[in-house]
Amino acid sequence: MKKKSEKKRVFQGVEDMPISAISESDMSWNKTGSWRNVRPLYDTKTSPCIAGCPAETNIQGYIRLMQENKYEEAAKLLWEKNPMPSVCGRVCFHPCTEKCARGGIEEPLNIPSIERFLGDWALDHGIKETADAEAAPGATVAVVGGGPGGLSFAYYMAKKGYPVTLYEAKEKLGGVLRYGIPEYRLPKDILDREIGRILSLGVNAKTAHDVGQKVSVEELANYSASFLAIGLQKSRRLGLEGEDSKGVMAGLAFLKSVTAGKPGAIGRRALVIGGGNTAMDVARSAIRLGAEVEVVYRRTRDEMPAIKDEVEEAMAEGAKFTFLAAPVAILGENGSFKGIRVQRMELGEPDDSGRRRPVPVKGSEYEIAGDSLLVAAGELSNAEAFGKVIEMTNGLMVTDDVGHTSNERIFAGGDVVTGAATVIEAIARGRKAAKYVHAKLTGVIAEVEGEKKIMSMSDINEAYFTPTNRVATAHVPLETMRDRFGEVKQGFAEDDVQKEIARCMSCGVCNACDICWMFCPDAAISREDGVYTINYDYCKGCLICQHECPRGVISSEREDI
Amino acid sequence: MSQCILPDDELMSPGHLGCQGCGAGNAMRFALKGLGPKTVIVMPACCWSVIDGPFPHSAIGVPVFHTAFETAGSTASGIKAGLVMRGDSETEVVAWAGDGGTFDIGLQALSGAAERNEDFIYVCYDNEAYMNTGIQRSGATPLGAWTTTTPTKFPKENPKKNILDILVAHRIPYATTTSIAYPEDMIAKFQKARSIRGTRFVHIFAPCPTGWKTAPELTIELARLATETLMFPLLEVFDGERYVVSKPRRIRPVAEYVKVQGRFRHLTDVDIERMQKEADRNWRRLLAKEQVSAAEAAN
Amino acid sequence: MKIVMEGNHAVSYGAKAAEVDVIAAYPITPQTQIVELLSEMCASGELNAKFIKVESEHSAMAAAVGASAAGARAFTATSSQGLLLMHEMLHWAVGARLPIVMANVNRSVGPPWNVWTDQNDTLSQRDVGWLQVYCESNQEVFDTVLHSFWVSEKLSLPTMLILDAFYLSHTSEIVDVMEAEEARKFLPPFEPKQFLNPADPLSFGNLTAPDAYYELRYEIDQDLRRGIDLMKQADKEFEKLYGRSYGIIEEYRTDGAEILLFTSGTITGTSRVVIDEWRDRGKKVGLVKMRLFRPFPVDDVRRICRSAKKIAVIDRNIGFSIGGIWAQEIRAALYGSGYYRPVFGYIAGIGGRDVTPDTVNEILEHVEHLEKPDQDVYWIGVKHEPVHSTR
Repeated sequence: MKKKSEKKRVFQGVEDMPISAISESDMSWNKTGSWRNVRPLYDTKTSPCIAGCPAETNIQGYIRLMQENKYEEAAKLLWEKNPMPSVCGRVCFHPCTEKCARGGIEEPLNIPSIERFLGDWALDHGIKETADAEAAPGATVAVVGGGPGGLSFAYYMAKKGYPVTLYEAKEKLGGVLRYGIPEYRLPKDILDREIGRILSLGVNAKTAHDVGQKVSVEELANYSASFLAIGLQKSRRLGLEGEDSKGVMAGLAFLKSVTAGKPGAIGRRALVIGGGNTAMDVARSAIRLGAEVEVVYRRTRDEMPAIKDEVEEAMAEGAKFTFLAAPVAILGENGSFKGIRVQRMELGEPDDSGRRRPVPVKGSEYEIAGDSLLVAAGELSNAEAFGKVIEMTNGLMVTDDVGHTSNERIFAGGDVVTGAATVIEAIARGRKAAKYVHAKLTGVIAEVEGEKKIMSMSDINEAYFTPTNRVATAHVPLETMRDRFGEVKQGFAEDDVQKEIARCMSCGVCNACDICWMFCPDAAISREDGVYTINYDYCKGCLICQHECPRGVISSEREDI
Repeated sequence: MSQCILPDDELMSPGHLGCQGCGAGNAMRFALKGLGPKTVIVMPACCWSVIDGPFPHSAIGVPVFHTAFETAGSTASGIKAGLVMRGDSETEVVAWAGDGGTFDIGLQALSGAAERNEDFIYVCYDNEAYMNTGIQRSGATPLGAWTTTTPTKFPKENPKKNILDILVAHRIPYATTTSIAYPEDMIAKFQKARSIRGTRFVHIFAPCPTGWKTAPELTIELARLATETLMFPLLEVFDGERYVVSKPRRIRPVAEYVKVQGRFRHLTDVDIERMQKEADRNWRRLLAKEQVSAAEAAN
Repeated sequence: MKIVMEGNHAVSYGAKAAEVDVIAAYPITPQTQIVELLSEMCASGELNAKFIKVESEHSAMAAAVGASAAGARAFTATSSQGLLLMHEMLHWAVGARLPIVMANVNRSVGPPWNVWTDQNDTLSQRDVGWLQVYCESNQEVFDTVLHSFWVSEKLSLPTMLILDAFYLSHTSEIVDVMEAEEARKFLPPFEPKQFLNPADPLSFGNLTAPDAYYELRYEIDQDLRRGIDLMKQADKEFEKLYGRSYGIIEEYRTDGAEILLFTSGTITGTSRVVIDEWRDRGKKVGLVKMRLFRPFPVDDVRRICRSAKKIAVIDRNIGFSIGGIWAQEIRAALYGSGYYRPVFGYIAGIGGRDVTPDTVNEILEHVEHLEKPDQDVYWIGVKHEPVHSTR
């Protein structure tokens, strides 16, 4: 190596010059950083999967830990945002996967199966957590509703060290997770274990305690703060005559009966009204009970709010779908259901949901025969009792975006606030509310999360990713899917999950791939233990590092002159 | 993404005078990582003569002997002989020349040295024109390119000289093409070259944003595109006859390479079509050579 | 050991005695025997050196530069066109301060092709910074190889030793050669101070701005001047060991001379005979043999010319439009001497045209006849068409 030079050597006279142009020292005196007019910087961005998740689960983060075989740390990182990954990996509509940038190379990562693997691993290995001692001294907390929203809130508060009392109206905890989603999608054993993990942190669950009936709403005033997440317990009715006759059931009620082991009678041919997840759950449960199923939905397949996988599986299991039709009359005989009359629809202007409104086609009515009618046309709130203590609108609880209600000590979240939404969103709201409740109780202002820069597909440098197809997960064969209530999707084996997570590109987050360090023409980036530093004394601002970074970690800004 | 295996040591100091995004900067950095400190570089007039910095400084951490433009091959022959006569047979002598000093003015000395199978590594880092003197055309300038001596009204009228074929014709033990977009390949090739005796020729593709009129951040991508569009295939030729050709993971149309470069801005679709045909033809020839040489080796 | 050999072979034996490490050479008439014999010596192992059979003279000097930069004793030989082709690299050897020694056989420059002797090839290299030593005999050639390395390695500047085409290169004379072991008493092994060495990774020749280049050239100029005393010293040391001496200028029968005749190369040998004749006739003439051309021995020339009345110079070369080059240099040397002597410049022997005792006589008579020259240059023996009175 040449000697390092502090500054450019200037000779005083010929006497101290060498005999010819002989150079002993290097060029480090020459701070070429002065050439720049733009400068690169390491600027960690939010991965699109994380940005796509309503709960902001740190998917990139836990995958990275899994790549390093640090499953326990990965699970704990995941739990920081979602305490029920084994459940969500099975039932979530996975907007994360829709956003996964790997889709621009070949296919998105199978995030649900990865999350499920991790959740199950943590349960199987009995990974324990202990409560921290951060609770406001003497504070007590109540939760009303043992569904995903309530359980989430309870978990985060208990984790901080608060004594939490959870009131659940039904016999068991879980809410829609138990009573709405069937066994073949979410085995109750898994649900129980995940709920058990939450309770073990110090949650006192009082099942069969209906707040509003058995327990008065005013009781909540005994707690320092409460969180209401009672969901939507009422089924929307069609409003047609004969809706209470034999053979006509609300979808939720039907599912509840299936869970209880005493399914309602549906005969040989069941008609299902609706296009959401409940409708799919109802249809596929009916199939498993041996019925031929026809789903009638007033819009087209594209507008169905149900998770696409569920629709595909329902079709694969043999459900017949009739689109652009809505019932106009229930047909009965001797008080028993025998069919419906439907009217064809066509799509008109978009409605409030942004979807095109179904418009009846005059003179297009016809009849569909069936032994039972299962109505899964939406859920409504039954939260009137709480109107005494908080503001409500159209049956829904009014909150701001973090869960404050009109009552200082009451927070709310989940479907009872948003209207019918998703499990993950309820979980997210539970966590957010917990953060703000904790802030309120301790008097420490909650940190507001700043604007996040989300990595976009154009930041990916495709050259560094060899197309590799998604690793397949095991799946019960189609032929046998409909014959059992056993879990249809089987998830990953460990070898396979490692292969699948190897496809993660770590969007927007540095994973020490060395590419920036490697390609700097000026050797102006140094690396140490996976941390990179740009030496701005020398960086000329060529931005090769930014352009080559496979995952968009490097941003650039104009140099201040 | 696995950790790359480039050695840590930096034998090139920052503060050198390469332009922003200089491909030659990458080339030198990778080459030095592959060669190590027991190296003497002999450097004829080229961009690096200036990039290395002014007396009494030098950005390169190994000894460098600056020499006249056309003498890389001859001076290197002398240096090697001198070192061996002093009892040092281990230090690798490396000629480091641009395309001018290799394809054109330096071709005689290189050919003479190759014919004598002089024991040194000759590196040509190719930016496809006389960049150091201000972007004039060289024998390495591709057909149709703008340079200051081939303005857009009369762009380069002859195809790029095939220097690898010329060196292969001398039957030297090792001749190879590599590129700054593939540092692991380049470093492995330098390490391999070190283990072979005789004349070894390494042709490095090193884009020049200043001369090609491209944005500085695209330098690596251009090199990658050149290989993926088959404009600059990566291969090795052993003993003038055995070909080993690297197949790019994906092959892209020449148009993608051409369209981002200002020096090709004036090309029409017909011109690009012609370039595509030529690149394809050349690729087929290479694959055929590889097959023939594999068949012969099997016998 | 005395051997009858041609001048070219004297060069080869000289290089062998000097134990050169690296030879890089390209053949050219009339130098070829130098490299042929050296090739044999290397092949047989009597000389342990690497012989790089380069593909041109430019490459020969480049390779010698490389070898010398690596710290090896480097040698080459050429002539005429080859020397001219090397021109760029002659500068390089000087700027890089490399003690390369080269033997050049003085051959005329084309076009048209001419293989006979004159001095234009070397004299036109006068400003590059190489030392130049002109030899009169094959023995002198052998000895000068050793002197050249001795001086070059102390100065870190290259030297060319020069011999006439055919008259020396291909003419056999007795040469007393010595083996390397004996020569080592005079010329120790080369010990370069700075050379290409990964253990001390210096770089050589980086871009240098006016703020430093000027001083580097100043250093060359100052060091080249020291070559005069060093050449004298080399000659003395050599004489002590081996009994032979040439000086940097030889004064032959110059005591009391009124006319001094300056010559170089083999014309000197011819002129000695004529000077003897004139002296026998009682004429006050003397001969000055110029051996060292660069650095030009200004002080010695001034000293020698002071006591004479007229100076005559025979130039076997031409500096187009300004006369013979030796004459020009001598006039320039005398300019600052404080005294004036007329300098008669004669051109003879270009292209190998014979310079006989008659030629020298003609010159001396011409000088004797004129008080001072009426032309700045006289071309001896140019053929002119006879003048016809009518056509």
